[in-house]
Amino acid sequence: MTASIPNQLRKAFLFRGLSSDALTALAQKVSVRTLSEGDVLMRRGETGDSLFMIDEGWFKIVAEGPSGDELIINKTGPGETLGEMALVDEAPRSATVIAISNARVLELKKDAFQEILDQRPDVALALIRGFSSRLRFSTTYIQKAIDWSQKIAAGDYGFIENTQQFSGNTESDDDKATELLSAFFQMVRSVKAREDELKQQLEKLTLEIDEARRKQEFEEITGTDFYANLKEQAKKLRAQRMSSENEG
Amino acid sequence: MAGGKIVSIHSFRGGTGKSNTTANVASQIALKGKRVGIVDTDIQSPGIHVLFGLDETKMGRTLNDFLHGKCPISEVAFNVGEKAADSEGRAKLAGKELWLFPSSIRGREISQILREGYDVNRLNEGFQTILKELKLDYLFIDTHPGLNEETLLSIAISDILIIVLRPDNQDFQGTAVTVDIARSLDVPHLILMVNKAVPKYDFADIQKQVEDKFHAPVAGVLPLSFDIADNASRDIFSLRSPDHDWSKALRGVADAVAAVK
Repeated sequence: MTASIPNQLRKAFLFRGLSSDALTALAQKVSVRTLSEGDVLMRRGETGDSLFMIDEGWFKIVAEGPSGDELIINKTGPGETLGEMALVDEAPRSATVIAISNARVLELKKDAFQEILDQRPDVALALIRGFSSRLRFSTTYIQKAIDWSQKIAAGDYGFIENTQQFSGNTESDDDKATELLSAFFQMVRSVKAREDELKQQLEKLTLEIDEARRKQEFEEITGTDFYANLKEQAKKLRAQRMSSENEG
Repeated sequence: MAGGKIVSIHSFRGGTGKSNTTANVASQIALKGKRVGIVDTDIQSPGIHVLFGLDETKMGRTLNDFLHGKCPISEVAFNVGEKAADSEGRAKLAGKELWLFPSSIRGREISQILREGYDVNRLNEGFQTILKELKLDYLFIDTHPGLNEETLLSIAISDILIIVLRPDNQDFQGTAVTVDIARSLDVPHLILMVNKAVPKYDFADIQKQVEDKFHAPVAGVLPLSFDIADNASRDIFSLRSPDHDWSKALRGVADAVAAVK
């Protein structure tokens, strides 16, 4: 099983820049942990001192809702890393992670990580690159999200048509930023669709006629001598014009 | 050559945009190369002359002079194609055959004719003379709102009656009476035009309601527009802004008139 660990590590975005040699060195520092469905991998608020890479199985990332209930923020699976920040900073875990299936993870303890940093500056550099590219990737998309939000606020949805889909063919196939953007686009499409639908739902006027009044007014106008005379004249005039047309 | 058609434009109440409609439909038909006359029989409150750039200084003989026997009707004719192609929209009428027969805008002459009245038969003779002498294809009559005697006469002798109404119940009620009168007087062609429709309403639904109620075709539902208000009767809007929604719908009305055989 140990022989395959370098390959498993390679699947993680964070370790992608590492050479085979470095991965082998890293593999010697990790331990394998198996979990059953419902097992807690890490708990929010605890001081973390391990990075986990999911090899098999699925986890839910949960936070506490306003009324103390469980709020699932995300689900995550094979190839994803969890808790990598704990290797660098001392901050407590930001969320609780619970296995939702039987799972297997590779664990890299902070002490082991420190050791490898001391022994292998090339690994340290590769990891820093991994961290920073992840950060850059996120900020780029955050900037885009800001630009797009401003456009949406101005009622301009044109960018949806002009921006390519996020399908993982970006610089890296990470991940949450892409997911966020894709969710963002989904949201904009829904908003636009709803707006279009509202525009379609035009109000309808109700037009009514008072038939009794209509009849009364008609009778008032047509009941005069002038009208009777006019009707007669109009008839003659039409006949006259008709015949002169036929002649001409 | 068959005689020209008399087209009366009427609305039961004022403010529907009747004169504006008359001027625009008549201009669109003149633009097609037809010979067109417009008589302003709204003697009490003339207005259509403004759309053709005519003011007191340019106005010569008027319909009032003719009705008082002061001149033949031919002297009242104002040749728009020759004399009024002086704005962006009207410039398109240069060389076209369009004549306006304006009513007097002098207060004294208006009050005189209202006080003394006139012979509606003479008005009718005037129409017939214009049709013949100018060999008109269409004679448009811009009527006074309501159903007074000269308006009833105009309706009675019309080949086509266009009723302009706003989509509200008061206009709906008045239009119902006018439609009944038009049918009673055997007007051969009745065309309805809904003007000043607020864009939030479903125009197709308005058209259907009006057609269902009056059993007459609605040639267009035209939007209420700030752009037209802004034009402030200075120009023929459908010529000045041909791509505007109002202008497009207006041309539909002109087409409906032109389609009558």
